[in-house]
Amino acid sequence: MRRAVIIGLDGMPYRLIADLAGQGVMPNMRALIAEAEGAFTPMESTIPEVSSVAWSSIITGKNPGEHGIFGFTDLRPGTYELFFPNFNDLGARPFWERPGSGRAAIINIPSTYPARAMNGVLIAGFVALELERAVYPPTLVPELERLGYRLDVDSAKGHRSIELFLEDLERTLESHIAAARWLWEEGAWETFMLAFTTTDRLAHFLWEAYEDEQHQYHSAFLGHLHKIDRAIGELADRLDERDLLVVLSDHGFERLEEEVYVNLILKEEGLLELEEAPSAPDLEAISPKTRAFALDPARIYLNLKGRFPRGSIEPEDREKVLAELIALFSELRRAGRRAVRRVCRKEEIYRGPWLDRAPDLVLLPERGFAFRARLKLELEAPSEERGPFTGKHTQEDAFLLVRCEEADELMPSRPTVADVVGLIDRWQRL
Amino acid sequence: MDHLERLENQSIYIIREAYYQFKDVALLWSVGKDSTTLLWLARKAFFGKIPFPIVHLDTSYKFREIYKFRDRYAKEWGLDLIVWRNERALAEGMGPGLGRFQCCTALKTEALKEAIAFHGWKALYLGIRRDEHGIRAKERFFSPRNEDFTWDYRDQPPELWDQYKTKAAGEEHFRVHPLLGWRELDVWEYIRREGIPIVSLYFARNGQRYRSIGCEPCCRPIASEADTVEKLIAELRASRISERSGRAQDKEEAQMMQKLRALGYM
Repeated sequence: MRRAVIIGLDGMPYRLIADLAGQGVMPNMRALIAEAEGAFTPMESTIPEVSSVAWSSIITGKNPGEHGIFGFTDLRPGTYELFFPNFNDLGARPFWERPGSGRAAIINIPSTYPARAMNGVLIAGFVALELERAVYPPTLVPELERLGYRLDVDSAKGHRSIELFLEDLERTLESHIAAARWLWEEGAWETFMLAFTTTDRLAHFLWEAYEDEQHQYHSAFLGHLHKIDRAIGELADRLDERDLLVVLSDHGFERLEEEVYVNLILKEEGLLELEEAPSAPDLEAISPKTRAFALDPARIYLNLKGRFPRGSIEPEDREKVLAELIALFSELRRAGRRAVRRVCRKEEIYRGPWLDRAPDLVLLPERGFAFRARLKLELEAPSEERGPFTGKHTQEDAFLLVRCEEADELMPSRPTVADVVGLIDRWQRL
Repeated sequence: MDHLERLENQSIYIIREAYYQFKDVALLWSVGKDSTTLLWLARKAFFGKIPFPIVHLDTSYKFREIYKFRDRYAKEWGLDLIVWRNERALAEGMGPGLGRFQCCTALKTEALKEAIAFHGWKALYLGIRRDEHGIRAKERFFSPRNEDFTWDYRDQPPELWDQYKTKAAGEEHFRVHPLLGWRELDVWEYIRREGIPIVSLYFARNGQRYRSIGCEPCCRPIASEADTVEKLIAELRASRISERSGRAQDKEEAQMMQKLRALGYM
């Protein structure tokens, strides 16, 4: 039986992997890159470049218009009511649920909570809340508890103490590795998929520690990736030449220089208004005068008549308002620099049955800028004081590495995260 | 014995059993349909005169109709009504504008902690039902809470064959859930059968009614023409939308929000 193994490193950009492989911090990745020859390239993430959307594309092979996950939050159709889409809202099948799929072990993949019946085993990743509901079959729970399995790092610690955060990060990673080892040995799987997500948490808080060699946590950052590299090496060594190994990330990362608050900009421009004396200053209080509003990170919705309860834009005015917004954001500047790399219309980036639920526009930031919707609409822009985050996601430089005999044939020329399932399928047909 | 009678018998048994075991008890009355039904059952259990206090946690944000209803029936039914407010948090300006989850924590959870600490109750009756929310499916009729209010649902006394475990250990207080096995529809059918008075907010006016009530800023009406209990029961039988869909506050969502916020995703 030929086996397929997919290892994800959440949020790790191509250039960081290339850099740490070159430096010897990730010697196993270095060896894999050498073996893969050309089959190690940058990969494009989804738009927006957040884990829930990107992983949903990775596991279904579909774009967001086809799988229906556009962010960590969404609006219930026909309302301004926020909800948190989960695995049950995924509108396309993950590859392991397709008819005739072989046995799979799926570990810590974001947006697979709550776990559900499948041919194989699954431990859901971010945003999983309770272990009992994160695991299929439930008989795995006692052993995972014995292994001290942690669903995720408690990122709230990063706001209080980096030391506590790092300790949690290490213990979480160790528990993920222990669970992966156990499930590797335990079952006769054909496909094994594991995501390391501590990488993304580390990068949010300590990206500057990676870039700055003098930083007190520089070696902690590298040490964490070294540990992950050892785990990758351990799994890669257990495969033989007939097997497929894919190592990938869902989006990239870079230094965070400035946060930009989309709803505050819309408010300043008079495009977003709240009803007077709102009881809850969020989207529920949007007034009919509102033209557009945003959900995180930079998904912009027109307040269209027929789509929203207090929608006021007539369908025939849609194009005009879109043009205004595109002009506004294309020219948006901060300290003389353009903040927006691209204003994407939904028709340009999405296709499929969920298009009606997609945001009308999505902004892609220029280097260094992080967009946030900022739902607490009554608040003014925060002061200059820096938050705890030093890194931010990027869309264009995730990575993809493929090791198998036929890697040249399989590799798409400019891969996106939605190409991975197709790649595995082509390999299986070889 | 029909379905409603079986539920009624079971609830009355639990209400009496808990009172017999604990004596220092109180009943939480939100004035919603469930706790009003619970109150009705307690009146029946003790033949019209409830021998323990009825507690209303007043967030000060409740609907006007709730306050009027509460005061009218407290008098009519001769209740020993205790109204408890977290005055300190209210004085500091706590309200839903500061975050719904924080508001609920301060004005409901913290208020209840204070009230329990002050009065020293050993057990509290609550009108929760298993079918309200996923997490409540794990609830017990007699459910221990420790000093920190933590409910360790993995370490609960077993209730095999409905042999209710009522012994409290040390500092714990017990929550007693006589309505746990009732469904939303059972409650309405019982309300119809008994003619229990219910706050008018549940009945449609101008095409809207509330299916679940609490604080005014955090409840939204649903579209409905059901202006009588009969119509309401017919509507529920046809509906597939969850009861609490009109309520903003939801523990799981709050947890999710906290996790997303911790990474700057919200």
